[in-house]
Amino acid sequence: MRGTPVVRIKKSLTGVAVAALALTTLAACGSDDDGGSSNESGGPESADIRVWLNGTDTPQEARDWLKKTFEDENPGSTLTIEQQEWDGLVEKLTTSLSSESETPDVVEIGNTQAPTFTSAGAFSDLTGELSDFGGDDLLPGFVEGATVDGKTYAVPYYAGSKYIFYRKDLLKKSGLDVPTNLDEFVQAAITLKKDNPKPGNFSGFWFPGQDWRNGAAFVWAAGGDLAVDDGGEWTGSLASDDSVAGLEMAQELFTQASGAPKDGNEADPWTPFCAGEVGMMSTPGWVKGLIEADDTGCPDTFAKDMGVFALPGDDGSPAPVLLGGSDIAIASKSPNQALAQKAVALMLSDDYQTIMAEAGLTPAKQSLASLLGDDEYAKATIEAASDAKLTPAAPGWANVEGSRVLEDLFSAIAQGGDVQQLAEKADDQMNGQLNG
Amino acid sequence: MSERTDRARAVSLPYLLLTPAVLALCLALGYPLVRQVVLSFQEFGLAQQFGTPPEWVGLDNYRELLTDAYLWKVTLRTIVFCLVNAAVTMLIGVGLALVMRTMSTWVRLLTQTGLLLAWAMPVVASLTVWQWLFDTQYGVVNYVLSALGGDFEGHGWLLRPLSFFFVATVIVVWMSVPFVAFTVYAALTQLPGELLEASEIDGAGMLQRLRYVILPSIRPVLLVVGLLQVIWDLRVFTQIYILQQAGGSARETNLLGTYIYRLGIGGGDFGTSAAVAIFMLALTVVLTAPYVRAMLRQEREA
Repeated sequence: MRGTPVVRIKKSLTGVAVAALALTTLAACGSDDDGGSSNESGGPESADIRVWLNGTDTPQEARDWLKKTFEDENPGSTLTIEQQEWDGLVEKLTTSLSSESETPDVVEIGNTQAPTFTSAGAFSDLTGELSDFGGDDLLPGFVEGATVDGKTYAVPYYAGSKYIFYRKDLLKKSGLDVPTNLDEFVQAAITLKKDNPKPGNFSGFWFPGQDWRNGAAFVWAAGGDLAVDDGGEWTGSLASDDSVAGLEMAQELFTQASGAPKDGNEADPWTPFCAGEVGMMSTPGWVKGLIEADDTGCPDTFAKDMGVFALPGDDGSPAPVLLGGSDIAIASKSPNQALAQKAVALMLSDDYQTIMAEAGLTPAKQSLASLLGDDEYAKATIEAASDAKLTPAAPGWANVEGSRVLEDLFSAIAQGGDVQQLAEKADDQMNGQLNG
Repeated sequence: MSERTDRARAVSLPYLLLTPAVLALCLALGYPLVRQVVLSFQEFGLAQQFGTPPEWVGLDNYRELLTDAYLWKVTLRTIVFCLVNAAVTMLIGVGLALVMRTMSTWVRLLTQTGLLLAWAMPVVASLTVWQWLFDTQYGVVNYVLSALGGDFEGHGWLLRPLSFFFVATVIVVWMSVPFVAFTVYAALTQLPGELLEASEIDGAGMLQRLRYVILPSIRPVLLVVGLLQVIWDLRVFTQIYILQQAGGSARETNLLGTYIYRLGIGGGDFGTSAAVAIFMLALTVVLTAPYVRAMLRQEREA
């Protein structure tokens, strides 16, 4: 008992210290005041608008233009672009959009991820502002995907389905022509892999195991589907005969044509391409810029032999690939609604969209499509989009993406697992999530 | 009369002094805990996150969970991972601390600097480096092992769950050893030199001294550090989460921490996710109970 009083004093001192610390922290959280006077509906007249853009898709030139133009047009306000990773975006939006003090004002979100957030009330209703942003000129598929019960919560930012980049020199060396249907494509990929034993991780078709977004094209081309709407109730349909046939085709590519990691993701495809490890790969159009850039790519070597084509389908027309692209939305909890709308209007302006088009991204407005040009890349972009499909419009689709069901499925298929069994397991998992 | 007020003040003063601490505790720990429990009885999804009132579902979340074989698989995986990691960390940490006693000053300083750097490195930064080291295509580990004659070209370290957890263990242990080593080393410096000398004169060998003199004297420290390790390794999250992004199958490698995250923040099912969190809390209490009892006993004896 001798030491007890001392200990007691020490303990209460610690308590006070902890309390003091906690109070300071709380105070720090509470003092998040931007200043600036308020107007009636749309928040303060001046503020710092935080814009979240994902990945490296948006070229630097567009970012600079947006910041400068916004700040010139709205004296006293600033615009900060914060770059987020595509990987883990749903999780990050889930946590930050629901907090008034943490939420960014304007966010870019994958067009397939948008429905989950629009139906949850995370975005502001933009129906009244649509005409300011471009109205009927906006890509209709994107607007539809972001509309719930007649209200539109997000607008298109850019579109761009993936198409095939290939090495002209390697195809020629193997005596191959550009494939005109899916079977030819698979055979070409396998031949390329066989003809190029070095390096050991060479890919006839570069297909990392987690890449379900490319994998979905094979399911669709075979007549299958990821999930189907059965009278208002969504169920997974990966285990249907058609879907399994498509998944088996993907497995053939994984095991016989791809040297990419069986559990890897599809990030940074220009790295293996520029290491000479890729014969063909399916990536978004803006990857071209990174392959041709000095610091990320290989402008003097492999980039010179680069060609592109849209993934062919069964009947000679392009295959149904995933309609890729992004939406922009305004966080409903953002206190700066009016200013955020001005930023969105700028991002959909002809000037801004022209910069995007020059980087190979399909503009958000139909009237600007011609800006893509008419070279081989523009042709592939337009063809790939011609039969593109969206992910299922189920309210819980982003949850499926968030829990990595499809990454796990394709990765297991890539490792040579039993397709039917794996597909049934994935369907089971999705059934619990699809309906929100 | 003044004496009475003095006494009253003397009685109330400790409580007054305690109030800020208790308040802070209630705010910082109590509120999240209560919220968590409430959440676990609700059907709480993304829409609720943005204002739709949640539906009260009673024990449904728990019933659904406890009958799901996957939860038990993850639980077992978590416990094994936790115990293996805590044990390995303790072994290496205590070993290092013992060796540090016999090092010359500058070697010890060098070792301690190295340990400190590993301890101070931000988790995500060091994980990025670890990820690169074990990268399938361009990783240094594969390169070195291949150069040494192994067949490791393009070897996927994260592909199989067992190999995934091996990599995770290496990283977790690497990150936690410094804390154990420093704490135990500090305890060792408090060990009276006469005691060791006496036992040496009495003819105790190195192992005997370790077993009968050194370890019993630093037992309280070992208990506390061991307890912390078990708790930390039980709720390990960042390492597993980041490795899952890099490769491997999330479902095959989820531990309770990442499972809660995937259910809640990833899958938008906050109710069930909260139920797993409460389950994990109970598990932590059960797993650490023996430690806590031993610690309490010791305090009573002292």
